[in-house]
Amino acid sequence: MGAALIIARRDLMSFFTSIKGASIFFFFLIFMGVFFQNFVATFAELTAQAPQHGGEAPTLEQLTRAIFYNLHFILILIVPAVTMSAFSEEKRNHAFRLLQTSPVTSLQIVLGKFLASTSLLGFVLLASTVYPMFTVLYGNPDVGVILSSYLGIFLLMCGQVAFGIWISSMTSNQFIAFLFTMFGIFMLMILNWLAPHITGGGTLENVAKYVASTEHLDSFFKGLITVKSTMYFLCFSAMFLFFTNVALDSQRWR
Amino acid sequence: MIEVTGLSKSFGTLQALDDVTFTVEKGQIVGFLGANGAGKTTTMDILCGCIGADQGTAKICGYDINEQPLEAKKRLGYLPDEPPLHLEMKVRAYIEYAAKLRGLKGTKIQERTNYVLGKLEIADVSHRIIGNLSKGYRQRVALAQAIVHDPEVLVLDEPTEGLDPTQIAHIRDLIRSLAPEHTIILSSHILTEVQNTCDHIVIIHKGKLIRQGSYEEIVKEAESGGVYRLKVAKNEQALIGAISGFKGIKYSNFNQEDGEIEFGLEANDFDTLDLIGSKVIEGGYGLRELTLKTRSLEDVFFQITK
Repeated sequence: MGAALIIARRDLMSFFTSIKGASIFFFFLIFMGVFFQNFVATFAELTAQAPQHGGEAPTLEQLTRAIFYNLHFILILIVPAVTMSAFSEEKRNHAFRLLQTSPVTSLQIVLGKFLASTSLLGFVLLASTVYPMFTVLYGNPDVGVILSSYLGIFLLMCGQVAFGIWISSMTSNQFIAFLFTMFGIFMLMILNWLAPHITGGGTLENVAKYVASTEHLDSFFKGLITVKSTMYFLCFSAMFLFFTNVALDSQRWR
Repeated sequence: MIEVTGLSKSFGTLQALDDVTFTVEKGQIVGFLGANGAGKTTTMDILCGCIGADQGTAKICGYDINEQPLEAKKRLGYLPDEPPLHLEMKVRAYIEYAAKLRGLKGTKIQERTNYVLGKLEIADVSHRIIGNLSKGYRQRVALAQAIVHDPEVLVLDEPTEGLDPTQIAHIRDLIRSLAPEHTIILSSHILTEVQNTCDHIVIIHKGKLIRQGSYEEIVKEAESGGVYRLKVAKNEQALIGAISGFKGIKYSNFNQEDGEIEFGLEANDFDTLDLIGSKVIEGGYGLRELTLKTRSLEDVFFQITK
């Protein structure tokens, strides 16, 4: 684990010593801010209109859920931007030879890269708390739901990072790594909507829905931390970390 | 220290290495010589665990690079042909990172970092970003990462590539100064560099090991009888025909620029040499010079790889 932490620390520092880290924070907070401002404006408008039209006013839970769905969507762009360089960049500039010739295992390298990316994205998630914080300051939302939503997003993000570094381990082209990771994460998000159309129903549809990340995330967004959904994200992450390890080992023999 | 046995590697249809076997003793500097694409980098990559061999074994200090990679890599420092640098890092931070990866701990990290910064004369740029340094400095930083953990075996792939003559001389001196405590393999296609730096030479050509030994041994084997230079006063072309006809002559040719005839003897056949001398005098060609030519590694390399 020691070597994994050394690798993770270096990679994390490199995000912050280059413009990459700052750019990720900048675009993430801009996107989140713009959407948040729109959600709040709509929320205020609907609340004001509710008594006049005799309908129900929207709840703060609906607002916070909208924020988290939005966060889920923005991760489609942010996660590939972080993971694309995990291996691709070092392979392109030959710095990967340093790791290959050091007394560290492939698993330590994979864990180091995974920890670096999840740490950076963890800081990004931490920065995003400013938006739900407003709802706490100016309303009375269920804090438990907010916390479980964050746990769900974090677990999802771990799975996405594992998938992203797997893609990055197979190419030295960062752009290709970005595109394929984004495509994979997007497919995972829409799989439960596509499932009825591509499977023809039955067991296959249920399997496709189980594989889709959105189904599992929904339970966290409702404030439910279930073993089934937690295990889904943990297994998903472990599977792609294993694939990355296999990819690194197999590349020695090509 | 280094044992390479029956190493073979192919990339698709290209046979990059074919049954390469050699050993390197402790404290030796071995020059790995070959043209571009001969298989030098492939051998070094296999030796350092970057790629796997199709057949054969490579051992570092008795540890097989495939069976016990961590033990082997602890004793190994590698400078690849492309320096493995993180260009966004500062020099000191990078060397410390390499030291930690190689298992150094506590005060030893600072101690060894300061030592290599001084040894490679890069202490003055230790707080600069690597990407802003010149090629010469970058190459020295890359060499620093290879020696920071004081490895028993150093593998240097074209360490002076792209450096100016002063930097080449500095790196050459440095490699020599490391030799007593380290076993070093260095590859190069600059023949004089290998000739001047190494105790032992391995020549590889189209994936096959074709010669190995000391410089003197390789030259002696290639000459096998010697190459002579003959300078006469007149009618050189007629004399070449006559020399070619003698028994024991491997080849003869006329160098237009120097006005010299060069011929190779199959063995130290002094009778043939006497005959040639007599022919020159009796034929009235006017003997000006007849000397045994000392051959450079370059001459030998071209002869055995053509």
